Amino acid sequence: MFVQTLLTGLAIGGIYALMAVGYSLVFSILNFSNFAYGSIIMLGSYIAYFAMVRLGAPMWAALILSILGAALLCFLNERLAYSSLRRRRASSLFFMISAMGTAIFLENLVYALIGAHFYSFPEVFARTNISYHGVAIGVLDVFAIVFSSVTIYALHTFLQKSRTGIAIRAASYDIQVCSLNGVNNNALIGLVFALAGALAGVSGTFLGMKYLVYPTMGWITNKAYIAAVIGGLGSLPGAVVGGILLGVLETFVSAYVSSVVRDVFSFSLLVLLLLVMPTGLFGRYLEEKV
Amino acid sequence: MLQYVFGVISLGLIYVIATTGLAVFTGFTGLFSLGHAAFFAIGAYTAAILTYFYGWNFYLALLAGTAAGGLVGFAIGYPTLKAKLRTDYFAIATLGFGEAVRVLLENLPITQGARGLPGIQGDTNLPVLLVASAIVIWAAWNLIHSRHGRAAIAIREDFVAAEMMGVDIFMGRLRSLTFSAACAGLAGGLFAHYFCFIQPSMFTAYMSTQMTAAVVAGGMGSISGPVIATLIFIGIPEALRVANIWRLVAYGLLLVLIMVFRPQGLMGYRELSLDLVRGWFRRPGKGGKP
Amino acid sequence: MNLKESCLIPLAVALCALVTACGKKNDVIKIGHAVALTGDSSMWGQSEKNALDMEIAKLNAKGGVLGKQIQLISYDTRADATEGVNVTKRLVSDGVCAIIGPAQSGVSIAATAVTEPAGIPFLATTATNPKVTIDDKTGKPRHTAFRTCFIDPFQGTVAAQFAAKNLKLKTAAIIYDVGSDYASWLGKYFSEEFTKQGCKVMASEAFRSGELDFRAILGKIKPQSPDLLFIPGQQKEAALIMKQARDLGIKAVCMGGDGWGSPDLVTLGGSAVEGSYFVNLACLDDPEIQDFIKDYRAKYNNDPVMPNPVMAIDALDVIVDAITKTGGTDPAKLCAQIEQTKGLQTLTGVFTVDPATHNPLNKPAVIQQVKDGKFIYVTKFVTQ
Repeated sequence: MFVQTLLTGLAIGGIYALMAVGYSLVFSILNFSNFAYGSIIMLGSYIAYFAMVRLGAPMWAALILSILGAALLCFLNERLAYSSLRRRRASSLFFMISAMGTAIFLENLVYALIGAHFYSFPEVFARTNISYHGVAIGVLDVFAIVFSSVTIYALHTFLQKSRTGIAIRAASYDIQVCSLNGVNNNALIGLVFALAGALAGVSGTFLGMKYLVYPTMGWITNKAYIAAVIGGLGSLPGAVVGGILLGVLETFVSAYVSSVVRDVFSFSLLVLLLLVMPTGLFGRYLEEKV
Repeated sequence: MLQYVFGVISLGLIYVIATTGLAVFTGFTGLFSLGHAAFFAIGAYTAAILTYFYGWNFYLALLAGTAAGGLVGFAIGYPTLKAKLRTDYFAIATLGFGEAVRVLLENLPITQGARGLPGIQGDTNLPVLLVASAIVIWAAWNLIHSRHGRAAIAIREDFVAAEMMGVDIFMGRLRSLTFSAACAGLAGGLFAHYFCFIQPSMFTAYMSTQMTAAVVAGGMGSISGPVIATLIFIGIPEALRVANIWRLVAYGLLLVLIMVFRPQGLMGYRELSLDLVRGWFRRPGKGGKP
Repeated sequence: MNLKESCLIPLAVALCALVTACGKKNDVIKIGHAVALTGDSSMWGQSEKNALDMEIAKLNAKGGVLGKQIQLISYDTRADATEGVNVTKRLVSDGVCAIIGPAQSGVSIAATAVTEPAGIPFLATTATNPKVTIDDKTGKPRHTAFRTCFIDPFQGTVAAQFAAKNLKLKTAAIIYDVGSDYASWLGKYFSEEFTKQGCKVMASEAFRSGELDFRAILGKIKPQSPDLLFIPGQQKEAALIMKQARDLGIKAVCMGGDGWGSPDLVTLGGSAVEGSYFVNLACLDDPEIQDFIKDYRAKYNNDPVMPNPVMAIDALDVIVDAITKTGGTDPAKLCAQIEQTKGLQTLTGVFTVDPATHNPLNKPAVIQQVKDGKFIYVTKFVTQ
């Protein structure tokens, strides 16, 4: 049972990691938690679902459509809901309310227009599983882990090697000095949101394929926030480690204690870490912007 | 028919009590809470269990519910506020707390779990509600206009400066949280004795959202603003029998629009007063105060 | 006009609504319908309303009841208890003589707080929780609460006996939603009867409402190799559990209660739900209701979403019978008359109310199986 639980934990941890990286990207630049990220993930999932079912697109096409769509939506979200607040240097409370408002709006818009109906992706991968010595893992999970790793690695290379990537990393240290050095902050922030949106598209699609597609699926991003704290706020490799670690820990709690207390465990872990070790595993300490 | 209208007004007043507390917390002290429905639930269950199983007097049970809400608010606030959690993580922590309360309510034998408590005596009626809301609004008003209130506003506006001026930030925030939790507890107790049946699934994030939306729309910095906003939010959909889904879409959109275009909400920093109403009827250019 | 003056608009609107809502009294028989028209349960709710509209139109064409036309007033409960109370209050103030619905146990229990003082009888369509009709504190039936469906203890017993006797399964594991009253108790009733049959319940695992990932729980159950997985919840969770169980290589037979009875089960679960069984209140293949199904299909171009529509028609039949027998629409007399209903021929069979519990006596359960993506009728089951 131990190995089985570990494998299950890794599978879900991979998805948490992907969400946590997208969330951390935005957080490291703007120092604010984008509560609307969950709804972008949900929309990415719907886009992929409708691409496969209505347009009959193959999986890779649906994935690409989802990535592009989610990136665009995330970018628009920033432009419409946050940019004017940024320019006004509004307090973080206002950002949060705006983010919360966007999340509620998008969630319920989908609810109202498309309906509360739960959708299931068509079975792309065979219902068989890879089994070894009584331990099994679904084919979809293996694919998801591999694809996520590739995506995160690609992002990492982009951030390390390209000019824009360097600008993003610089902005995460100090955005004002960055603009002094000639970086167009507005465009940069827009790009970061678009990147986060792309990641949201991937996680949304895999989340939808693993479980179901429905309007309130965005709330799973609460786990992304916790993962980001575990790994360390503002650190991207931290987000990955945090996500995987959270997935594994949660699954062990579910299996060995009770599935009912799993979420309580995760939130308690969050509060405990914030009290005792706010920098997490790899993070830098970020003060609350005044 | 009149009975029905009284019913809607009663429901509105119950929420007014909870929202007034939240107005002090979010509006005046500037902290965001995603889990206030939890305090509401605690007040509801405490009062209901006391009257249902132990036959307590209704008013004493209400007081107990209020005290329970306040105590739990204090208990939750102490560690989280002491740790100076940043606004967004504090919000996530309150979300986690809400989850924890739900799990507790679903699993404790005395709350009868998912079955809930049916058959609670219906002691809440319009006169009781009118008196209760009057008391709560009066208490909130006094709190705001005392030095505690001014300290709260200072904390919201610039907590670094406030600290330098000798304001105890921790106590100020804790005080606001305890007050708002107590208000929510009172509202919960009244709610339980109005619907005569409670179960854990009635205390959802939707309830917290509605309260926050009312505070933001009403104006953060006003007591009468959130009161009016709550009555509008409850009254209009009943009068028009609008489908609930669109109500939530409207709340979300409203939150974003208010943040972007009119952050001071309906009443801004002002209260509903005779001067204000006179000002609406004053004709420009003719006598009267400028 | 500025923002402040626009505050007056909502007040004006509310005033107008008040005035127009004070309607005139018509010479019709008003029957209320508390139903979930939007939200998760809307599929069944809409079908209920369609079926009732169709049957009432037929009755009215034949001259109505006692010479008066029947008017159905439907309000949306969204399957939410708080909203259900509001809806019931509205129906009472609209002057209905009886209410059909609600369909959910939680909503029904909440509604009794309104119907008991008002004295308006209601017939729940698919609310299977015993507490809907029985008041916990006194142990006696509430005088306005009735239902047209069986109750959960019966359902659990049926499931257990079918599994033990017909399918000859010896061990079972139960996976239930701790936040659902219905699921938790159905699991308990199944467990009691299954053990009485001499079989063993190896594990009983709880999950929270809205849970999506059951692999941790299934991983725990898998080493114990139960013959049967009893999943007493709604079709969405059941579909996910079965999918994930197959993913993990669990080969047990799966079984559930009436919460499974939606075409969703197949679309969400795919090949994983093939061959599983569930208990239901009524079934499309039931020979007794084929005429009704033909009419429904002709009018609405769709199959009725079972079992709600036929339960609602049963309720309508009972109410109409009571009105005819008492010669009027006095709610207090209707309550007393409904309690006395014996041997009434309704859509699904013979209906008798047990005065001690206000539940229908001897209503058989239907067992269905998923084969080739369709629900097929296996057998009608009466407990031994």
